[in-house]
Amino acid sequence: MIVVNDVYKRYRTDHGPGKWVLQGINLRIPPKINVGLVGRNGAGKSTLLRLIGGNDTPTRGTVERRCRVSWPMGFAGGLQGSLTGRQNARFICRIHGHESDMAERIAQIEDFCEIGDAFDEPVKTYSSGMRSRLQFGMSLAFDFDVYISDEVTSTGDAAFRDKALAAFRKLTDRAGLIMVSHAENTLTQFCKAGILLHDGQAHWFDDIGDTLKAYKTTLAAS
Amino acid sequence: MTAVIRSPLSVTYAVWRALFLREAVFRLSGRRVAWLWLLAEPISHVAFITLFFEIARVRVTPGADPGMFIMTGLLGFFMTRNTALRSMEAIKANSALFAYRQVKPVDTVIVRAALEGFLGLIVALIMLSGAALAGFTIVPYHPLEVLTAFTGLWTAGLGLGLILSVVGELLPDIANVAKLLFVPLYFVSGLMIPVEFVPHPYREWMFYNPILHGVEIMRGGFFPLYHVVPEADLSVLYGFSLITVFLGLALHVRYARKIIAQ
Repeated sequence: MIVVNDVYKRYRTDHGPGKWVLQGINLRIPPKINVGLVGRNGAGKSTLLRLIGGNDTPTRGTVERRCRVSWPMGFAGGLQGSLTGRQNARFICRIHGHESDMAERIAQIEDFCEIGDAFDEPVKTYSSGMRSRLQFGMSLAFDFDVYISDEVTSTGDAAFRDKALAAFRKLTDRAGLIMVSHAENTLTQFCKAGILLHDGQAHWFDDIGDTLKAYKTTLAAS
Repeated sequence: MTAVIRSPLSVTYAVWRALFLREAVFRLSGRRVAWLWLLAEPISHVAFITLFFEIARVRVTPGADPGMFIMTGLLGFFMTRNTALRSMEAIKANSALFAYRQVKPVDTVIVRAALEGFLGLIVALIMLSGAALAGFTIVPYHPLEVLTAFTGLWTAGLGLGLILSVVGELLPDIANVAKLLFVPLYFVSGLMIPVEFVPHPYREWMFYNPILHGVEIMRGGFFPLYHVVPEADLSVLYGFSLITVFLGLALHVRYARKIIAQ
């Protein structure tokens, strides 16, 4: 269960506080349910995901996570360029409290991302595709109750995309998922419920089809 | 699936451990012969000042060999300076890691200070071993007093690092000013000339510098015949450390959200 309680968010800019991105979001996201997050560009989808994932803090209001929540998959940060893929993976294992079974998990990550010897090269030498392979592999290696994903299924080449989709499907059977995507078929394929972000407000729909319908109305209205 | 929610303490411990190992790898193998630079700086300083003393035929370090006198002072001063300046930059260097909500800004600062203290201790041991090979007496006269002063100097560095890391994030120019300020501190921390020879009233002014208290007491513990001036007082150093650490932690509590938020 994730409880988002009256959350407001605006970013700091060089000239004072910016515009409100989120204005009074209230959500109760039940566990083990796949939720699609839709909204036009700039509606605050990634912002809300980052707040749920705990990477950023709301300007006002609270986010409660009563289960293990992943960091946003496909998120561009979190890798240190001067360290190798293996060293980065070890760090992630350690902060998630997997000191004892680290070897298996590292092997699992190495196996999944299929980047060969590059796993022992500094991350700054990676291509963006290799980076996203590593990031995706790392987020699969832990048993989270809820995964959050920001357009993750659209990265990498065709072969990796198929693999990622298959892994994703397996994952959604055992854990919850909150995902952002602009691809309608990805959303209908994975998600049951939906959240529409519009004008800083969040609207919950029990059915993803209804969410997309409402989303189209907001697009048409403006 | 085991839905074990870890306690905050165990999360923090895991984060500190992971950060420490990561920082250590980066510090010792990040650049080519990075470990050599750790030793090169203090050794070159000792060599230069000793050489200068030798050429100028200065014999002004009563109760201690000039080389050892300089070495002990520099090791103490560098302990505070390196800890403060390195941990000041911890937040900027690790900003990518705040993508994981387990890692807080204060963790990176504390871990860097700990690593710097650890490395400072190793550098000190290596340099003292070198001095032993050259025939100097390196076993302190009062080992505990030396350790107490050394620890106090590290804690002062930690406190300054905690404060400067937050202030430097909010007002980036302050970080540059802090770096500059350590240059004059080098000259008023009694590293080259015994503070005993500084006349009144300048000596009283110099003792507003807490590092000098630590350096002076440390030498007193090291050399049996060294005359410690009566102004030197460890409680000044520890009082300074206590206040800066508390102030630094308070700043972190107050501004942690602002630092992570974009």
